[in-house]
Amino acid sequence: MVQYNFKKITVVPNGKDFVDIILSRTQRQTPTVVHKGYAISRLRQFYMRKVKYTQQNFHEKLSTIIEEFPRLDDIHPFYGDLLHVLYNKDHYKLALGQINTARNLISKIAKDYVKLLKYGDSLYRCKSLKVAALGRMCTVIKRIGPSLAYLEQIRQHMARLPSIDPNTRTILICGYPNVGKSSFMNKITRADVDVQPYAFTTKSLFVGHTDYKYLRYQVIDTPGILDRPFEDRNIIEMCSITALAHLRTAVLFFLDISGSCGYSIAQQAALFHSIKSLFMNKPLIIVCNKTDLQPLDGISEEDRKLVIEMKTEAMKTVIGQGGEPENEEGVLLTMSTLTEDGVIAVKNAACERLLNQRVELKMKSKKMNDFRNRIHVALPKPRDQKERPPCIPQAVLEAKAKQAEEEKRKTEKDLEEENGGAGVYSASLKKNYMLASDEWKEDVLPEILDGHNVYDFIDPDILLRLEELEREEGLRQAEEEADDFEMDGEELSPEEQEALAEIRKKKNLLIQQHRMKKSTAESRPVVPRKFDTDRKFTTGRMGRQLSSLGLDPSLAINRARSKSRGRKRERSVERGEADGGDAMDIDGNQASKKLRLRSMSRSRSRSRPPITEVVPGEGLKDSAQKSYSYIETKAPVLWETFHWKDRQALRHEIKLCSEGERSFTFCALRNLLFSVCFFFWL
Amino acid sequence: MRIEKCWFCSSTVYPGHGIQFVRNDAKIFRFCRSKCHKNFKMKRNPRKVKWTKAYRRLHGKDMTQDSTFEFERKRNRPERYDRNLAENTLKAIKKIDKIRSDRASDHIKNRLKTGKVQRQKEARKQLEQGIHLVKAPLALAQDSSLHLPKIKVNVSQAQTEENRPMEE
Repeated sequence: MVQYNFKKITVVPNGKDFVDIILSRTQRQTPTVVHKGYAISRLRQFYMRKVKYTQQNFHEKLSTIIEEFPRLDDIHPFYGDLLHVLYNKDHYKLALGQINTARNLISKIAKDYVKLLKYGDSLYRCKSLKVAALGRMCTVIKRIGPSLAYLEQIRQHMARLPSIDPNTRTILICGYPNVGKSSFMNKITRADVDVQPYAFTTKSLFVGHTDYKYLRYQVIDTPGILDRPFEDRNIIEMCSITALAHLRTAVLFFLDISGSCGYSIAQQAALFHSIKSLFMNKPLIIVCNKTDLQPLDGISEEDRKLVIEMKTEAMKTVIGQGGEPENEEGVLLTMSTLTEDGVIAVKNAACERLLNQRVELKMKSKKMNDFRNRIHVALPKPRDQKERPPCIPQAVLEAKAKQAEEEKRKTEKDLEEENGGAGVYSASLKKNYMLASDEWKEDVLPEILDGHNVYDFIDPDILLRLEELEREEGLRQAEEEADDFEMDGEELSPEEQEALAEIRKKKNLLIQQHRMKKSTAESRPVVPRKFDTDRKFTTGRMGRQLSSLGLDPSLAINRARSKSRGRKRERSVERGEADGGDAMDIDGNQASKKLRLRSMSRSRSRSRPPITEVVPGEGLKDSAQKSYSYIETKAPVLWETFHWKDRQALRHEIKLCSEGERSFTFCALRNLLFSVCFFFWL
Repeated sequence: MRIEKCWFCSSTVYPGHGIQFVRNDAKIFRFCRSKCHKNFKMKRNPRKVKWTKAYRRLHGKDMTQDSTFEFERKRNRPERYDRNLAENTLKAIKKIDKIRSDRASDHIKNRLKTGKVQRQKEARKQLEQGIHLVKAPLALAQDSSLHLPKIKVNVSQAQTEENRPMEE
């Protein structure tokens, strides 16, 4: 079903705008720059192009106008008539004709001027030719200006026409003005039509849609029709007449029973009869409206007669369609749009009648036969008269019965609630374990043991493997013992270990001493051995060392003594002990030697010692060394009571004294001794 | 709850300790402490870091292959609980542990044996060569046992001498 949609027509510009559009386009889209120095052919081409371009554009635009506007002969007669009614067919055609002529004229102009341009000999001439051409074209358009304006208006109006599909199910509402057509329309559809007390509120056709039995029905509301001869009708009435005439609709003729529209029933009946020719082949329903003001039964006799007349007419149409005459009810209906009483009934009746008519027509048409042949509803034929009820397995029946019986089964949730609720009770998950023995259900197996995961060790044959392992281990251990036994012979005895330790100690000591010696070699004073102040090289010591090695030192000591250039005292000692028995008595000698040194013997108390006698300190290098070595020998005990640091300090003082201005006099020595004594007493 | 192994040092990670790092390829690295974690972040290879088990195993310091290791294997399919089995397993774990540690220590001992032998040989040689430092060869000739001679100290004289300075 083609929907007539006049909204898609392009805008028709008015004369001046048209010209402006085309000329500006020409200016933009064609080259603009030209000089008189160009070749003549180029100049000619330039201007020809412009003329041609302008002509083409005009042609295009005018063509679109002509094509887009509907041709009244080609469209549905309803629309054709409607447009005629609204716009006057002749005028419409004339306007379009003018557009057409204009188009042709412009083509002709362009052709002529292009021909002239071919022989233009200068820029100026070509230019003026082009100007002339464009000028003429524009005048043409200017002349058809009024047509363009008219067409533009038509276009605007057409765009607002209701989109009525002439071929679908339609219900038409007609009658005098103010009878209640628009209010009925409002009631059954979603259309919002103006309802006012004055006549001709509805000035054009309005379309609404309503549904009945899952089908869409168009409902067309028409402006009111007056009872006038056909020629005198105005445009608005003609609209409704056109609709009545051309659309295959169900017609609802509205009758105002109460006469509040301003027209009596007689007048309305007269109208009915004048347009009844238009109701040919259309399901007609006479609707008596405004029954709230005046019920149908309460009208006067003449009116009643007229109504009956109308009804018979309507019946005729029913009979004409082949409907049963008994179906009187569907022909005359009463309703009131104000109270909405009977509105739906009217709608349903109209829809029903229309539907039936259409179905009948379709059934009669050839197409239906083709269609009907192809449809076949198959029903299975019963084979025999045996009854076959639905089959339900026994188990299901039993289960159902059981379910009905036991209302409640104790669920875990109930258990939880019994024992204190969600936070207090935690379900025992071990309850349903399937173990070899039920006592094991609550067993807790540790997951970690001694830094191992217990689950990693679980193995059904762990016992067997463990046995194997232990056997292996036993074997291995036996081997180990055998090995160890072999090894034991190599160890050192404790004696040997002691000796080794001693050796190592001694060695370490030697190494240390050597290292010390090495490091202090440069700063160590070189003292000849015979003057050893640290008393390192004594026979006693030698003796000790030798005896620690296991040797008998006596011979060595004797030899050492005999070899050394002794002091008198030592010699005397030697003489005294001829047998040399007391080899070990070196210490004793040492002590007595001290005593002897301290105590001056009578023989020597006053006189000077002989030159041969060595004065301790004389052989020394400098006086400082002389001096303190002197003290050391003269007052050794005193000297030795001092701490070694003090000894150093004293040595230093002595040094200073000796090196300084002061000569080494007895006074200085005395002073020193006093300070020393002072220190000592502290 | 599982005890895992630290990826770096292979020590046991108890639940609640250490850090787990999951890489974009879904490999999980577990660390026992930040020391291992930091070493990992520094991209150190545990096979080159001396104090890790990986190094020790690689360089033969610790026991690598043993049948006791077969007992502890991650099992993915759980066994149905059996009390006897559980008891036996727990006892077995202890025994296996003991055996394993014995074997490990034996391994180490064996490893160190050659060194020991060598040291003993050296000691013997040193004893032989250096005996002259503690016992004169002459004395050795007389008395061949290694009984070290002692220094004889004269007690009486020494005592009197020592008293003397004290008097002052």
